[in-house]
Amino acid sequence: MKIFPVAIIALSLAGAAQAAPTVELSSKIQVEKQLVVNGKQQTVLRDPKPVFPGDRLVITISYRNATGKPVNDFVVNNPVPSAVQFTGEASPGVQVSIDGGRSFGPLSTLKVRKADGTIRAAQPVDVTHLRWVLAGAMAPGATGSLSFRGVVR
Amino acid sequence: MKRTSKLLGATGSFVLAMTATPALADGTTSGTQITNTVTVNFTVGGAAQTAVQASDTFTVDRKISLTVAEVGTTTTSVSPNQLAAVTAFTVTNTSNTVLDFALAAAQQSGGAGAHSNTDNFDVTNVRIYRDATGAGAGSFGAEDTLVTSLDELAADASATVFVVADVPINRVTGDVAAVTLTATAREGGAAGTLGTAITQTTGANTSGVDTVFADGAGATDAARDGAFSARDDYTVLAAAITVTKSSTVISDPFNGTTNPKAVPGAVVQYCVIIRNAAGGAVANSVAITDPLPSATTYLSSFGVSANTTVTGSTCNADGNVTGSQASGTVSATIPTLAPGDARGVIFRVTIN
Repeated sequence: MKIFPVAIIALSLAGAAQAAPTVELSSKIQVEKQLVVNGKQQTVLRDPKPVFPGDRLVITISYRNATGKPVNDFVVNNPVPSAVQFTGEASPGVQVSIDGGRSFGPLSTLKVRKADGTIRAAQPVDVTHLRWVLAGAMAPGATGSLSFRGVVR
Repeated sequence: MKRTSKLLGATGSFVLAMTATPALADGTTSGTQITNTVTVNFTVGGAAQTAVQASDTFTVDRKISLTVAEVGTTTTSVSPNQLAAVTAFTVTNTSNTVLDFALAAAQQSGGAGAHSNTDNFDVTNVRIYRDATGAGAGSFGAEDTLVTSLDELAADASATVFVVADVPINRVTGDVAAVTLTATAREGGAAGTLGTAITQTTGANTSGVDTVFADGAGATDAARDGAFSARDDYTVLAAAITVTKSSTVISDPFNGTTNPKAVPGAVVQYCVIIRNAAGGAVANSVAITDPLPSATTYLSSFGVSANTTVTGSTCNADGNVTGSQASGTVSATIPTLAPGDARGVIFRVTIN
């Protein structure tokens, strides 16, 4: 079996550790900066050191099917950290939740009831969770990545 | 390996959520750990598998930033010899953590003041007070505290600070004394004591909380020095008082009131005119004392008539304040003398 140099999985569920191969998963947070290099605007990604309120973040989720078998019903669920504000930019196909993960949909279809009872369209700042649902089968050894952008509150 | 996948979207969901508008503070507190946790669920051969989770964590670093600004847009108008004249400032902590701020008030020596004017004197006895919140907030009073620093000012919070000083007596209208208030960030966290000086983290980023100065340049400080300063000024409005005195012979024992001469026995009327120059301050309780010339005797039957109007250089006979005479000195007080106004005091003597 080929060993891919991907990041280590963390199995966080209590109970017996899985000895069987599974999906390898990683989450990586980087800070995005706009720099002017030789008179040209360039976007640079670097480690979050240092990082301050207002900094733009790119969070990248990488996965690999290391089960050795086809995988189906692959669902990626990522709560937006409370100290991060979602900017609205995410890999295509993202569904968002504005009610703490109870329900998901495209941001453009979601509504918020304001304190005075009136309705407004949901904004990226309202998003609490992100989700991607991959259709079809994922072949053994297949890899992929998803990402979204946020701003440190 | 070929991966075929389609992305499924939920259809037509319309979710109503009650959300409060998130409070966007000046920033997540330094030292806060932000963790992103992603969870993947999947099936193999139709059977749900154990979910897999991954995390990544970073620590929010410390951004030191603050502003100081004068309250309002005008100079503080003062009188010569005024005590406890106040210029007001606000100090705002725009860092992402609670901090102390050392305060210093400095006098300017010449140069531009804060309101298109030029500094040309110093006030004295300069001290700093922190404005008490609650009763009396916004103006300087007995409830305010004499300070040399601000203790535990929270992120996003502001404090009102008064610079209080005395005005020397020998100043004239238009004199300007400019003062600069500088606030310097200090470590917070220990109430009641002024924290130590803060330094930026130089060299490589650490795994702990790093510190960066992100403040701008104020009136007299540089950008990114952990301090901010602002200027305000006092402008003197004085009352410029001048006094003139004239006399007229009213009568003599020989000519009566027809072309009287200044001979012994003649009655002479004095008119003392007090003028307050235009463009200055109103003068109150202007006290006049006038020792009588020798060889004259005060005419008590006429008395001292004060606060008369003045026409040209003549005191009109419309005084409405009574003065007095004692031991050869005439005294009277003009209650109020507006800038540009003149008032008179009339009394009579006989020539010995």
